[in-house]
Amino acid sequence: MEQFVGQIMPYFTVAIFLGGVTWRLWRWMIPRIMHNITLSPFPGTWTAAVTWWVWQIAIFWNILKFDRALWIGAFPFHAALIAIIAGHAMGIYTLGLQFHMIAPLLVSADLSVWLSDLLGTTMGLVFLVAVLYLLYRRFTVEKVRAISSTSDFLHLFLLLTIAGLGNYMRLVPDAHTTYLEARTFMAGLFTFNPVALPQNAFFMWHFFFVQCLMIIFPFSKLMHVFGFFWMRWMVNRPFKEWAPGMPGAKVQVTK
Amino acid sequence: MSTETAKGLRQPKRANEKLFRTLGIEPVPDEKKVEEAIRHLDDFRNKLRSFVVTMENCVKCGLCADNCHTYLGTKDPNNIPAGRADLIRKAYKRYFTPQGKLFGPLVGAEELTLETLEKWYSYFYQCSECRRCSHTCPFGLDTAEITMVGRQILFWLGIGPQLHTATAGAILKTGNHMGLTKAGIIDTLEFLAEEIEEDRNGLKVEFPTDKPDSDILYIPSSADFMLNPNTLKGAGMFFKWVGANWTMSSRITEAGNFGYLMDQTRIQREMVTRLYEECTTLGIKKIVWGECGHGWRAAKMYVASYSDLPGVAKIPMTHIHDEVAALIESGQLDLDPTRNSQKITLHDPCNYVRACGLCDQMRVIMRAVTSDFVEMTPNRERNFCCGGGSGVLFDDPAMYEYRILASNKKAEQVRETEAEVLCAPCSICKAQLYPMVKEHKLPVEVVGLIDLVGHALVFPEE
Amino acid sequence: MPFVEIEGKQVEVDEDGFMTDPAAWFEACAYYFAKGEGIEQLTDDHWKVINYLKEYYATNGIAPMIRKLCKETGIPLKEIYELFPSGPAKGACKLGGLPKPTGCV
Repeated sequence: MEQFVGQIMPYFTVAIFLGGVTWRLWRWMIPRIMHNITLSPFPGTWTAAVTWWVWQIAIFWNILKFDRALWIGAFPFHAALIAIIAGHAMGIYTLGLQFHMIAPLLVSADLSVWLSDLLGTTMGLVFLVAVLYLLYRRFTVEKVRAISSTSDFLHLFLLLTIAGLGNYMRLVPDAHTTYLEARTFMAGLFTFNPVALPQNAFFMWHFFFVQCLMIIFPFSKLMHVFGFFWMRWMVNRPFKEWAPGMPGAKVQVTK
Repeated sequence: MSTETAKGLRQPKRANEKLFRTLGIEPVPDEKKVEEAIRHLDDFRNKLRSFVVTMENCVKCGLCADNCHTYLGTKDPNNIPAGRADLIRKAYKRYFTPQGKLFGPLVGAEELTLETLEKWYSYFYQCSECRRCSHTCPFGLDTAEITMVGRQILFWLGIGPQLHTATAGAILKTGNHMGLTKAGIIDTLEFLAEEIEEDRNGLKVEFPTDKPDSDILYIPSSADFMLNPNTLKGAGMFFKWVGANWTMSSRITEAGNFGYLMDQTRIQREMVTRLYEECTTLGIKKIVWGECGHGWRAAKMYVASYSDLPGVAKIPMTHIHDEVAALIESGQLDLDPTRNSQKITLHDPCNYVRACGLCDQMRVIMRAVTSDFVEMTPNRERNFCCGGGSGVLFDDPAMYEYRILASNKKAEQVRETEAEVLCAPCSICKAQLYPMVKEHKLPVEVVGLIDLVGHALVFPEE
Repeated sequence: MPFVEIEGKQVEVDEDGFMTDPAAWFEACAYYFAKGEGIEQLTDDHWKVINYLKEYYATNGIAPMIRKLCKETGIPLKEIYELFPSGPAKGACKLGGLPKPTGCV
C-alpha cells in the first residue's frame, strides 16, 4: 500500500491530472464563440477587461457584492488554499527558508522557519474552518442544498479530510513530519527515483487524498479555476460602438 | 394545485403541429423526442462555447438564487438559475462526460426523459433571459445561453408556446410580430399625425413609410402600433425636430425579434435579412432602433454575426436613445422638462443595461426631459427584470399568475420610489407592466422614454 | 385544430379559442364567445366596438390601434375594459372573430 501510494500512484496521478486538464481545455476550444455576448457596461479596452477579471479574482468582487454570507466562507477558503499550495511548494523546497531567501537582510534563517510554521499553521486552520463553514452552508441553506448533488458534498468532505490530516500533522508533535523528510521524498519522485514514504501513516493518507483530489480535478467542477478565464473571455471583452449622429439631419451632434 | 397543469408543471399554452409545419418544423413524435434532443445537445456542445463552459463550470454556490426575480417570486428550486441550467446539465453529464457515464447520480448525472423535456418547457419559458445571473455569477456563467439552447431544441422538436410560435408565423408573413399590414401601418400613422396636430397646436409631423432615398431607417416596435402610440409619436416628433430624412419600412416594422427568443436560426435570420434588404432598397445610410429591449440586443449584438449579407459592416446602427442623448449632451435640443413634472422613476430594461451598454444615455435623457426623476434601487446593470422578459407575456391563467409572481420584486422596487410615473423604455416591459401595475395596485402610469422626449420637445411653430 | 359548434355550424378556432378565419364569422359567434369571456349581455356599446373592429379589419387587415378604437367609437378605454374584461386587444377581437394579436401585447 505504502509503496503504491508513495512510489507508483503519483505518476499515474500526475498523468491523469495534466492529461485530463489538457483534454478538458482542448474540448472547450472546439466550440466557437458564436456571438458577442459581452456583458455591459462594456470595458473600453482589453486592458480594462483584464483588470476587471483580476479584480474579480483578487477579492471575489461579485460574491462580496451580491452574497456577503457566501463571501465570508469562499474568500478565506480560496485565499488560504492558495497560501497553502504556495507554502507547500516553497516551504518544502527551501526547508522553510523561503522568507530568508526572498529578503536575506530583513529575515534571518530562524525567523523564516518560524514564519513558515506560523503561516502554515494559521492558513491550515483558516482553511479548515472555511471548509466547515461552506459545508454547513451547503447542508443548511435551502437554496444551496436544493441545487447540490452528492459530489458537491463529497468534494468538501475530501478537502476536509486532507486539511484535517495536514493540520493534525502540524499540531500534534508525534504525528509531525519534517520539511526535510518531505523534501527527500518529493525529490525522489521528481527525479524519477522514488524513495519510500516517510514513516508516518498520516502523511501517507494525506498524500493519498491529495492525489484523489488531483485525479478527480479534471472531471469535476474544480475545473472552474480555468473556467473563470474561459467565461470571462466571452462575457467581459471590449465592444466597439457605432458613433451617434444622423447623416443628412439638419441638427448635428457637435463635438 | 389549480393553477398548474395536469403534469404538475406550470406551462404556457402550446402551439399545434399545423402551426409548426408552416414554420418548416416537422414536430418529432414522442418516442423520438429524447433521442433527437440528445443529438441536438451534442451539436451545441461542439458548436457553442458559452454553452459548454457554462455547463461544465458551475460550482453550485447558490449565489444566483436570490439574484433571480423568478426564484424570488416562486421559491421553486428549478427557478434558481443554477437549478434551471441543471435541467440540461444532468443530461449533459450523463451523455457527454466520463464522470457522468461512470458515476451517474452521484455526480448529478441523469438520463434524459420525456418528463425532463416537459420540465424544460416549463422552466425555460419562465426564465426571462435577463442575464442578471450572469452579471452576478462569480465566473460570469450565462444561464441565458442555456435557456436559449433549451428553447431552441424544444422548438426543433415541435414544442413551443402558442404566443411565440404564432408570432414567428407573423414574422414570416409580414416582417413584424403583430402581423401589421402596410395599409394598417399607414392608417395608424395618419391617425397619429392627426393626434399630434390636435394636441400640439397644429404641429405637422410626417411619418414616412417606405420612402425611397431616405437617410435614416427607423425601426419601431410593432407593439407601438397597437399599445404605445406615444412612443411612435415621440420618435416622429424627434425626427422632425432634428430635420432628418427618415422613413420606416413596412417590410420590417419591428424592433423586436421573437426569433431570438426561441428559434435563433431561421426566424431570427429572417428579420436580419429583411433589415438589410430594406436598407439597400431605400438607400439607407443609418439605422436607428426603437424602444425594444431584446430586439436591440438581437440587432446590436447578433446582426454582425448572423447576417448573410455584406452590407452589415457598412451601415451604422444606433439606438434612438443614443441619438437623443448625444444631441442633448451637445446642447442641440430645446427641451422643457417642466412638461413632465410628475415624480418619475426609470425601469432599466435588462437587455439595454446588461447586454447593450445603453444605460447612461437613458439618464442623460431623463434629466433633460423630466423635472422630478428618482432612481429605483437597485438600478442600472443591477436592476431586476420586469418579469416579462424574453416574451413571457402569456395570458393563460397559470402563466399569468406566474408573471405576477415574477414581478413581485419589480413592484417592491417601484413602490419604494413613491413615483407617479414609471418609465419603461421597452415593449415587452410595457406589455408586462401595464397589467402588473394593476395587479400589484401600484398608483403609477407606465410610459416609454421617447414618449417623454416628444412631450418635452419645444417646437417654434407650436 | 379544434372546432366549436355554433348554431349547428362547425367553427374552427386556434389554441386560444380565437377564430382562425375571420370571414367565417356570423353574429351568433359573438354571443358564443361572449359567454366564454364572462360577458352576460351584448349591449349596443359592445356591438359598436365589435362592428368597428370588423370593419377596420376588413379594410386594413389588422386590428386598429387601441387609442384609435376609443376615439372612433367614442368609448373611453376604461369603459372598454368594463365591456370586455380581457381588454380590447384580446376580448373584443375574439368576439369579432379577429385573430389573436401576437407579439408584445
